[in-house]
Amino acid sequence: MDISYSPEQIAFRHEVRAWLRANVPEQRLPSSDTPEGWDAHREWEQKLFEGGFAGIHWPREYGGRGAGVVMQAIFEEEYLLAGAPERISQIGQNLMGPTLMVHGTEMQKQQWLRGILSAEDIWSQGFSEPDAGSDLAGLRTRAVLDGDAWVINGQKIWTSYGANADWIFALVRTDPESPRHAGISFIAVDMKTEGIEARPIRQLDGRAGFAEVFFTDARVPLANVIGDVNAGWQVAMTTLGFERDAPSKPWARYRRDVAELARLARARGVENDPVVRDWIGALFADAEAYRHHATRTLSRLANGESLGPEASMTKVLWSEMERRTYEAGLDVMGPYGEVLSTESPADDPSLWHTLYWFSRAATIYAGTSEIQRNIIAERVLGLPKG
Amino acid sequence: MKFDFTDEQYALRDAARELFEKESSPARLRELWGGGARDARLWRAMGEMGLLGLMIPEQFGGMGGDEVDLVLVLEESGRAALPEPVIETVAIAGPMIAAGGSDDQKQEWLPRLASGDAKVTVQVEASPFVVDADIADALLIEKDAALHLVPSTHFDAAAIQTEDPSRRLFTVTAKLSDATRLGGGLFSQMFLRGAWATAAVLNGIAMRLLEMTVAHVKSRQQFGRPVGSFQAVKHKLASAAVLIESSRSCTWYAAYALAKDLPDAPVAISAAKAYASEAEGYINTEALQCHAGIGFTWEHDLHFWLKRGRALEQAYGSARHHRAILAHHVFDELDRGSER
Repeated sequence: MDISYSPEQIAFRHEVRAWLRANVPEQRLPSSDTPEGWDAHREWEQKLFEGGFAGIHWPREYGGRGAGVVMQAIFEEEYLLAGAPERISQIGQNLMGPTLMVHGTEMQKQQWLRGILSAEDIWSQGFSEPDAGSDLAGLRTRAVLDGDAWVINGQKIWTSYGANADWIFALVRTDPESPRHAGISFIAVDMKTEGIEARPIRQLDGRAGFAEVFFTDARVPLANVIGDVNAGWQVAMTTLGFERDAPSKPWARYRRDVAELARLARARGVENDPVVRDWIGALFADAEAYRHHATRTLSRLANGESLGPEASMTKVLWSEMERRTYEAGLDVMGPYGEVLSTESPADDPSLWHTLYWFSRAATIYAGTSEIQRNIIAERVLGLPKG
Repeated sequence: MKFDFTDEQYALRDAARELFEKESSPARLRELWGGGARDARLWRAMGEMGLLGLMIPEQFGGMGGDEVDLVLVLEESGRAALPEPVIETVAIAGPMIAAGGSDDQKQEWLPRLASGDAKVTVQVEASPFVVDADIADALLIEKDAALHLVPSTHFDAAAIQTEDPSRRLFTVTAKLSDATRLGGGLFSQMFLRGAWATAAVLNGIAMRLLEMTVAHVKSRQQFGRPVGSFQAVKHKLASAAVLIESSRSCTWYAAYALAKDLPDAPVAISAAKAYASEAEGYINTEALQCHAGIGFTWEHDLHFWLKRGRALEQAYGSARHHRAILAHHVFDELDRGSER
């Protein structure tokens, strides 16, 4: 057992820290939901690209640094601690790019990889539909062959960045006669295509983070199908594997959150409330358990193993810990728990609300906690399907 | 970076598991519960396998290993609900005598501890009770900020009736003197070492409770299907699996921090014990719930683990106790203003 970083990894940490210190904007960027915020975030992505910090886990031949999972985790940790902006390129760089590297043709790689890395093209993901959420294979968006194009009709939903993205990769049904998982294709669609309309959905936290995307006779070139026609489910599993095997959320965040909670408790005069102290102790233990479990997971990836259903454990762990942490924050805020103004005792009064409501999304997106528990029960514990 | 064990460490774990299954089966536990005598063979066999000397220096007949070498064996002792003072003798007394004993104390005790010829139990100030004092050859005791190593000729033990007859408790009266003192500077280590080792044993107990429950709900049929196919049951056990695996990660790190003498070892240990007590507590509750009627019988083996688990949740500091320590640490850090 050796839980230490190599000299190379430590040097990388210093490099990242120094670069972020010199380059992270002092003012928080406007929300990426707004046109000026979107542009500012894209500029930031381009700055990362020029600095050599876009897609660091991509192989060098595609413009990355070939960073392993430990270096990725170091980058994520430093990025978080530096308070750097939201990454709007993540769907492209973490999901689409790596999927293309596995399933794309040379021409497809030529066409898209560079734009993903440079943030010239921001990608979104079109998997979920109104009637296909946890049960993804129930998707109904159709693509019908018509001469030199696939003609797409249907609707995607919960599409992060859907309203602003340049491209979307979508799962569409190309053979309605086949069984559910067969007959699906994975296709890349230019959002400027005629017949595509993206409507922002206002989230419960007031933001417009995701969108619904409508396809009405949208004509997409045949060459935009990734992998074989009707074999899109396998391609999608590769994509979800990248989502699953990505280094987990930086643990440093949760330790910082517990410190924030303690600061808030002090500001509210409940520092010595034994119940509050018990929560803080419990949340600190949670954060420690998450930290060590994430390190154990990272070590498995770094040593060439892939994660199976264990990834579901990590997801349950961090998403439910987030919720507990911010629930405690709202309680400690007491009567200020519903107040957004500067009268609040928290340094950033909106912080706890934002974090709390966003944590309520965390147990839903990327597989609900219930789906994760089914996976753990069936594939880790071997319990029979219901 | 490698947060994992070596092949040798896994092989030792497997050997320990096999030994415990053979020499400390549930049937054997049941005999003890019925008032049967202890079997000295088990402890001796553990000595022969090298388990008892894992953390004792090679010059004294041990393996010269560290907490990382020991932690999987501790888990196994929990999986088997081993009725022996492994925490006290192997995880606490051995390394503490090795670190703080005089030359005479080391010569006298370490080789015998490694071979299985002697057992040492401990008393921490936080508890009035001492485990297995009747069969201990010596007692390591905290008193007035000092440590003493007292041979059995110098203490008396009175048995306490306990819920778990395979974990026997005593009150002791010990005669302490300058001659019994153990070197300074180690005072706070006894409780911490106990908390760490107990966390590891609790993880093993939790693993066994989960294994038994999974096996039960797979075979038990109601409404024409296994009860383990119902989501209400599945989700409880999935939650237990998440808690237990992350608890193991936490305890393994604490082992590493102790072995490497890292500055965050005390905090890591409190986090590990708080978390392990909670994780085991969760499956302790749900294991009985999922076993339902049969689990509530004396005949079923489940309660050996239920009762040992509940006992160890409290030993060397409950979850609540360690969370209070952690909260103190969080506010301390705030005062120091060190966030990274």
